[in-house]
Amino acid sequence: MNLRVNQNENSKIYKPNRNSTLGFSIWNEMFAELVQSRELIIRLFIRDISARYKQSVLGIIWTFIMPIFAVGVFVYLNYSGVLNVGETKIPYPAYALLGITIWQLFATGITSSTGSLVGAGNLIGKINFAKESLVISSLAQTVFDFLIRTALIAVVFLIYGITPSWTTIFLPIAIVPLILLTLGFGFILSVLNAVFRDVSQIISFVITFFLFITPVLYPVPTTEPMMTLTKFNPVATLVIGARDLVIEGGLTQTYEFMYSAIFSLILFLLSWRMFHIMEPKIAERI
Amino acid sequence: MDDVVIKASGVSKKFSRDIKSLMKYGVYDIGKTTLGMDIDCSILRPKEFWAVDEVSFELHRGETLGIIGKNGSGKSTLLKMLNGIFMPDKGTIEVKGRVGALIEVGAGFHPLLTGRENIYVNGTILGMSKKEIDAKFDDIVKFADIGDFLDSPVKSYSSGMYVRLGFAVAVHTEPDILLVDEILAVGDREFQLKCYQKIQQIKKRGVSVILVSHNEYTVREQTSKCLYLSKGKMRYFGPTEEAINYYIKDSLEEKIIQVEDIKNQHLSKAPKAEILSIQFLDKNLKEISYIESGQEINIVLECLINKVLKNPIFGVNFYDGAGFMYCSNSDYECVNFDEILPGNIKVKINIPQFHLPQNKYSCSTIIAEENVTNLVDWKDKAYTFVVGRAKNARGSIKLPTKWDVGIYEKGE
Repeated sequence: MNLRVNQNENSKIYKPNRNSTLGFSIWNEMFAELVQSRELIIRLFIRDISARYKQSVLGIIWTFIMPIFAVGVFVYLNYSGVLNVGETKIPYPAYALLGITIWQLFATGITSSTGSLVGAGNLIGKINFAKESLVISSLAQTVFDFLIRTALIAVVFLIYGITPSWTTIFLPIAIVPLILLTLGFGFILSVLNAVFRDVSQIISFVITFFLFITPVLYPVPTTEPMMTLTKFNPVATLVIGARDLVIEGGLTQTYEFMYSAIFSLILFLLSWRMFHIMEPKIAERI
Repeated sequence: MDDVVIKASGVSKKFSRDIKSLMKYGVYDIGKTTLGMDIDCSILRPKEFWAVDEVSFELHRGETLGIIGKNGSGKSTLLKMLNGIFMPDKGTIEVKGRVGALIEVGAGFHPLLTGRENIYVNGTILGMSKKEIDAKFDDIVKFADIGDFLDSPVKSYSSGMYVRLGFAVAVHTEPDILLVDEILAVGDREFQLKCYQKIQQIKKRGVSVILVSHNEYTVREQTSKCLYLSKGKMRYFGPTEEAINYYIKDSLEEKIIQVEDIKNQHLSKAPKAEILSIQFLDKNLKEISYIESGQEINIVLECLINKVLKNPIFGVNFYDGAGFMYCSNSDYECVNFDEILPGNIKVKINIPQFHLPQNKYSCSTIIAEENVTNLVDWKDKAYTFVVGRAKNARGSIKLPTKWDVGIYEKGE
C-alpha cells in the first residue's frame, strides 16, 4: 500500500509502502495532518457556504423550506387521519420539526460527505492537499445548517408556548456522537463513491428507508419488532437521545445512547484511519 | 543528498485501461488495505499497463529540468508523482523542500466566487496560510493584472485572466521546487513571456524548476537538462539539445512508417509519370533525414516516365504542422525541361542554404505538364523531414549576414 512518510516538515519520501510498517505512528500522522489542514477546512467551508446561495433568490431561506415542507406533509397526513402517529409529548408539528432537524444532521451529512470527493475530482487530480478537509468541510456545512434551523425550532416552540427542558444545554454535546457517526460513514462512503458512483445512488434511497424506520416523525415505538429494531439502530438512539434532552429533560434510553456513542467513536476512528491509508490512492480512482 | 532536491529511483506507475477493471481493483485494494494486508503494486494485473516505467533522475538546487515526450508518454503522470498526487507503484521519490505545482492553473477556482475570494481559497489549497496570503495579496493582484475584475466572479473572466490569476497565486507560494505542466500555452504571448521571466527570477533565488512541455522551443529556451520520455520509459536524460534530437528523430521514424501507404497512391491508374522516391542528401551527397537549418541540401526525385512528357514541371513543397512553408518549383524558377522521354530519371534540386526554421516538415512532390494545375503525379505529404536549429542561432533561423563597421561623415 502507499503512504506518505513525513521526515521533517518539508522533506518527503513517496514510495509504495508496506502496510505492516505503519503501526501506531499513523495516528500521530493523522492528527498532525488534521491540525495542519484546519485552515483549509475553514476556507473550504466558507467557500461552499458563500458560493451556495450566490445565484439564488431565496438564499438562506432554503435552509428552512426543506424541514418545513417535510414536516408539513406529515402534519397534513396526521390531521387528515391518513396516518396515525399516536400521542407525542409536545404538539406534533413541534415534535416532528425537532426530530427532522436532528435527523437531517445525519441524512444530509451523509449525502454531502459521500459526494465530497467526487465533487472535487478535478481539484484532487491537480493539487496535492489533505483530502480529509473535503469530507470534514462538507459536514461542517451540514452542522451550520443545523444551527440555523434551531432558530426555526425556537420560533415554533414559541408559537406553541413550549418551554424546552433545562437539559437542552447538553444538546451540543449530545449531537457529537451523531456527527462522529456521520463522519465515520462519510469517510468510508466518499472513498467507495470515488471507486464506483453507484454508492451515491444507493445512499439516497437507504437514507429514505432509514427515515421510516427511525422514530423521527413518530414517537418511539413500544411494540415489537419495531422496538428492538430501534434499539439496535444507532442513528435512532442518537436522534432520540438528542431529542429527549429537549423535551423529556433527560435520556430515556441511556444505555442504548451510550452504546451507540461508543460505536460511533470506534467507527469514526477506524474509517478515518482507512481514509488516511487510502488517501494517496484516491486521485487515481476518481 | 546535499544539494539534490528531488531524487527519483526506478519510479513506475501503472494504470488500468479499462474502467470496469479499475473499479474491480479499486474495491480489491480498499478491502485488502482495510484488513491491514499488503498489496504488491509491482506486478501488472490484466488490462493494466505501465504509464511510467522505471524512471530515475536527480534534480539539483537551482537547476531547471525539462520533461519532453509525445502526448501520453507519461509526462504528466510523472509530474503528479513528484507532486505527491499519485503514489509510485514501484521505486521511490525523495523530495526536499516545499513543492509548488502548476499542473492546471485555477484548478481550485470556484466560478461563482470573486477573484479576491478565490485567491484566498486557491492559496490555502496550495498550502499557504492566511497570513502569507495577506502579505502576498497585492503582489498576486499586480502580477495577475486583472484590474477591476478583482471583485467580480471568476466565471466572468476571460480565459487569459483566469490563467493569469491561477499562475499568480501558484507562483507566489514561494516553493523550493516548482513543477510546471504545459499550461502556459493558454495565455497570450505577452503573458507567457511574463511567466517565464518570473520563473527565471525565482530560479535565481535557488528554486529548482521542472518544466513539462512538448514544445521544443520552450524547453530549449528554459532548460539545460532534459528527460525524454517515450511510452513511459526514459529514453534519454541529459543535455537538452541531445534530448530534443532524440525526440525529433523518434517522431520522424514513426511518421515514416505511417506514410508508407500514401506513397503508393497515384492520381490516375495509368499515370504518364510516377514519382518513385525522394531522397534528401547533404552537401557530401550522403543521405539524410535531418539537417541543420542553413546548410546545403540536395533533393533527388526518382521518377518513372511512362509516356513522353512535354514541358514538365517538377516541384517540392514543405509543410510544417500549421501549413504551407516553402515551395521549390521548376516552373516558378524558370527551368525548362522541354521534353522528357520514357524511362527512369532522376531530378536533382540543389538548395545552397536551406533556411527553414527548426521543425518537422512533411514534404509533397509533384510532376505536372505544361502548367502547375495539370498534375501528372502528386505525392501529398508523403515524406517527413526534420530541420534542426542552426549552430549559434538565437532565434529560429540564422540568415547569412555580412557586417561592416565604419566611420561616416554627416551629409555624405
